[in-house]
Amino acid sequence: MRTRRHPLRALSVTLIVLWSIVPIYWAAKTSLQTESAARARPAQYVPLQPTIANFRSLLDGQSDVSRGIRRSMVNIVIECGAATAVTVALAALAAYAFARFEFRGRNLVFYAVLATMAFPPYTTLIPLYRIMSSLGLVNTYTGIVLVYVSGFLPLATWVLHNYFVSIPHSIEEAGLIDGAGRLQVFWHLVLPLALPGVISTALITFLFAWAQFLFPLVLSTDLSTQPLTVLIAALQGRHVVPTTLMSAAGILAIAVPAVIALVFNRYIVNGLLAGSTK
Amino acid sequence: MPRANGVERGGEVEVGRSLRPTSAPRPRGRRFDALPYVLIAPVSIFIIGLALVPAAFTIIESFFTVDELNPPVRFNGLGNFVALLRNEAVVSSAGNTALYVLIGVGLSTVLGMAIAVALQHPFRGRGLIIAVLILPWALPGVVEGILWSGIFEPNAGLINNLIATLHLGAGNGVLLGQDRLLTVALIELVQVWQMTPLTTLLIFAALQLIPGELYEAAQIDGASRWRSFLSITLPMARPGIAVAMVQALIATLNIFDQPYVLNGAASTGASVTMQTYFISFQNLNFGEGYALSLVIALVTVALSLLVVRFVYRKVEL
Repeated sequence: MRTRRHPLRALSVTLIVLWSIVPIYWAAKTSLQTESAARARPAQYVPLQPTIANFRSLLDGQSDVSRGIRRSMVNIVIECGAATAVTVALAALAAYAFARFEFRGRNLVFYAVLATMAFPPYTTLIPLYRIMSSLGLVNTYTGIVLVYVSGFLPLATWVLHNYFVSIPHSIEEAGLIDGAGRLQVFWHLVLPLALPGVISTALITFLFAWAQFLFPLVLSTDLSTQPLTVLIAALQGRHVVPTTLMSAAGILAIAVPAVIALVFNRYIVNGLLAGSTK
Repeated sequence: MPRANGVERGGEVEVGRSLRPTSAPRPRGRRFDALPYVLIAPVSIFIIGLALVPAAFTIIESFFTVDELNPPVRFNGLGNFVALLRNEAVVSSAGNTALYVLIGVGLSTVLGMAIAVALQHPFRGRGLIIAVLILPWALPGVVEGILWSGIFEPNAGLINNLIATLHLGAGNGVLLGQDRLLTVALIELVQVWQMTPLTTLLIFAALQLIPGELYEAAQIDGASRWRSFLSITLPMARPGIAVAMVQALIATLNIFDQPYVLNGAASTGASVTMQTYFISFQNLNFGEGYALSLVIALVTVALSLLVVRFVYRKVEL
């Protein structure tokens, strides 16, 4: 192995870190300023008199904007949580069947499920809206969760399938010889071994759900179900909310995915590579 | 513990053996086993009902007039597609989208390659850098648009203030919505920020499979580092680059969140997916929206296959 020190390493690492965090830093800085301080020229590159007034206003204020933000935070947590739970549960069952059972039509169904991953993302936007509309599921949590689950199932099934395939058959065979049922074997022996894969799949699904915008924009037209992403874009479009308050809302909207990405990055990196490598 | 390393385990679908232990007595004859069908039923129902059927809808109804305000649904032949060609907003958005694709795929691939090479060999703190690196990938595109609007803001934004502070100019010249090329480039920069982590990871994973001896041998043969990069790193990275380029291609061709939140409906930055949205959900002309969705989907698939055809090479050691 080469042991030569790289003189450029410090520089390249600094650039990578700056590139990744400067946009987040700038919004965080703005969110801690008053509007006049944020608009000062020349700019304050650090908040000279930081204030949490913007966050207090959003989390505790009684204006329409603050109430809307709080409601849409509840909505996004419910939608992402439900979509993740349903996706992982259903994908785990199917992935196990595809990985371990021989049955007629297995390859056909498996490839059909995977093939839908090749659909460009918005191919089914209009028909899904019309289906949900005809079922009366526009502006309901159910409608949004159904659409999310249908979109995330193929990748989740694929990633979990790869984990199940990597588990040695001998473990299940031992369980069966000991008299356990096939579902007991799955629940008590296979699933715990595949736990890293299940966690990866759940985290990636949750992040995908949190990032959704165009589908919920179409499927939720009022505050009863609008996730934070949709509401923030609507506020930005109206040009009446001060930039400092918008920045604070943006920081609130990235807080959960940012913490997940930083804390669980190993699971996410592994899951992404398991899912994307063809 | 199964290590979640996926890289060497990608591709082929293993033909799994039946779960029955081979030593256990098998029932005579082929008894029908319902369990696997029960296990795959929910996923199958979702995929048929909410993916395959809707996709068929898009294909079929592209050829029909579907207007909620003007029923019933009537056959329209190629009428929807002809209307798209005559729609100036669609044509101009197609031009913008082509620019998004060129800038986005090019820039994210080059940047991802550069970062992956910088991280190729282990060093203290590399794991931490990778954790920070994937941050932009994990955040919602629409909120990233909000974050970056603070960077691009003509008066209070970071870019214009840096230009003023460093005395490079008056510091109000970089703004969205005036010049088309500048607007598209700035918006695409936001998407590149989001896409590059995945590009980097995919190329990085390919580079991790390169045996160190290859570089040692090259060094002994007197090859320069640039020579080793061209003859070893680049060819070995090709599978990763191909997958990354396909991902970037799909994301840029279907860009919506960033231009929508940064530049609204303005023609300087509108994308074809934004036109699909406006045509379908503001003008309620679903037939034409279907037709545009179908065109975008077909172009996406065709270009993806092209990238795979020309960039992907199986690596054999």
